[in-house]
Amino acid sequence: MSNKEHDVSRRQFLNYTLMGVGGFMAATMVAPMARFAIDPLLQKKEGTEMIYVMDVKDITTEPQNKKFTVKKVDGWHKFDEQNIAYIFKKKNGDILALSPTCTHLGCTVAWNDDPAHPNQFHCPCHGGRYTKTGINIPGTPPPAPLGVYKTQVKDGKLYLGEVQSRGGA
Amino acid sequence: MLQKLYDWVDERLDITPLWRDVADHEVPEHVNPAYHFSAFVYCFGGLTFFTIVIQILSGMFLTMYYVPDINNAWDSVYYLQNQVAYGVIVRGMHHWGASVTIVMVFLHTLRVFFTGAYKKPRELNWIVGVLLFFVILGLGFTGYLLPWDMKALFATKVGLDIAASFPFIGDWIKVLLQGSDIVGAQTLARFFAIHVFFLPAALLGLLAAHFLMIRRQGISGPL
Amino acid sequence: MHRGKGMKFVGDSRVPVKSRKFIPPKDYSEYPGKTEAFLPNFLLKEWMVGAVFLVGFMILTIADPAPLEKEADPTSSGYIPLPDWYFLFLYQLLKYPAASGQYKVIGTVLIPGLAAVALLAAPWLDRGLERRPIKRPIATLIMLLTFVSMIYLTWESTVSHNWEQAEQQGKIVQTVDFDKSDPGYKLFSQNCSSCHGENLEGAVGPSLIGKNLDPAMVKKMATQGGGQMPAGVFKGSDKDLDALAKFVSDVSKK
Repeated sequence: MSNKEHDVSRRQFLNYTLMGVGGFMAATMVAPMARFAIDPLLQKKEGTEMIYVMDVKDITTEPQNKKFTVKKVDGWHKFDEQNIAYIFKKKNGDILALSPTCTHLGCTVAWNDDPAHPNQFHCPCHGGRYTKTGINIPGTPPPAPLGVYKTQVKDGKLYLGEVQSRGGA
Repeated sequence: MLQKLYDWVDERLDITPLWRDVADHEVPEHVNPAYHFSAFVYCFGGLTFFTIVIQILSGMFLTMYYVPDINNAWDSVYYLQNQVAYGVIVRGMHHWGASVTIVMVFLHTLRVFFTGAYKKPRELNWIVGVLLFFVILGLGFTGYLLPWDMKALFATKVGLDIAASFPFIGDWIKVLLQGSDIVGAQTLARFFAIHVFFLPAALLGLLAAHFLMIRRQGISGPL
Repeated sequence: MHRGKGMKFVGDSRVPVKSRKFIPPKDYSEYPGKTEAFLPNFLLKEWMVGAVFLVGFMILTIADPAPLEKEADPTSSGYIPLPDWYFLFLYQLLKYPAASGQYKVIGTVLIPGLAAVALLAAPWLDRGLERRPIKRPIATLIMLLTFVSMIYLTWESTVSHNWEQAEQQGKIVQTVDFDKSDPGYKLFSQNCSSCHGENLEGAVGPSLIGKNLDPAMVKKMATQGGGQMPAGVFKGSDKDLDALAKFVSDVSKK
């Protein structure tokens, strides 16, 4: 009886050692590869530089569609990204630069092109609508207001940075 | 929990005999390095398999970044080696693993040859083994081109010229391998396909045959 | 198809009752010494060997990063390629007169082909039942000779290879972006680029990229020379010299 018990524990011991050695080998092999694979999650985001878009004196209270290019690096691929901003002055004089990307499913919205709903941003894909300041109109598909570009005014020139989300509502 | 799951599957598929055959087979003393240190020569086969596992794993991960295209191949390799965390190690494992696999295959072949283990009734397994050796050399040759650096391009040109010197059908072989009349975009795409799909498929098939035959015939006896 | 006699069913498959010709493997109890179960006893020993091997392998990987030369440039000439080490013996073989020129096919097809066929056919070329290498001298001798000649050829190919040149020819060259419409660049391409390269990357003369050159230093080198560079390379006005020095200095600091 005791002999048999001894036998079992020896076998178990061997099995545990086997699992240990196997685990060590698997971990040594896979650890660098796993870190390699999840690298996109851990890459540090570089802040986008501020891009000159237009002069402050040209900004009106009517949203203007302005295109500007941002230099982007995607791994080994470097390219110029075309960005669009709707830029206007609010009533209190603050400059607002809206991103035209619909918060519903990412289509591009247009300003004041729907005769039924004047002075609104309108999304052609699913009929989403936003007010002039980019607030989504309840009852239409978008779940959140349009994003706004970070703005900076220097020497009478307007610079835009990255898009900041204004959360869900 | 695990035991219950196992029992559930076993009740339906009777899997116990499948793995018991592998797990319980007896390993004779003459191949066991714990009893005779010189028996370490019998490890080369297992180590070859181990390095192949390393090659398959690291290769799978490398293709997460690598692109087989002459405009981007080198840039993607440079990026994964210098910008991606542990890229230098993962690529290093694949690069050095290739050499180590060839060393191990070589030693394994020599061991089998000098212990006369290829003799009747194991002729078939020897043939499969030699074919595996050729497939591995082919993997080494096609993998050399993929980083698309100077050495890759020019060594492949030489390799393809060697293929072209084959009597009568040499030029066909060359065009078939390079996919074009120059070593370029189509060659890279073709070598990628051969390196990543065709040869590994052959490798896995032959390996399965190799192992099945070993289980069927057992290890050859002591000298 | 065999039916009935001589067949039996295993599940729903029909298999012969016994295959009379199959050579069954030896029962290991006939072998001298101790045998042990594959799992877990023997596998544990194999995995320990594997773990030691893996540690060595990872050290090699970390200590010596995989090489990467500069991007392939099919138009470049004069590059001397070298195959991976396991093809070096073949590479060397092709250098000998008896296996090159009009006899090239001997070195590229005949010898490797014969070796491959002989290897495949080894069980039929060496049919004796004796397994000990010393008892089958011909097979052993042929294999040893092949092995030694492969090592010799590999060795020969490495000693005759110019490793320094090989390292130079594949080096990754750093390049920087600069404005080619800069007046300084025009002066540079007139006076300097034949030695220092179109992009300052170096050719006969050294690369100027990343050298952090001082304008005064550039002026001095361009007029008085120094090191390998002869004096009086720059021919032009002092104003041009200033523009050139500024341009080179700026690019070298990028």
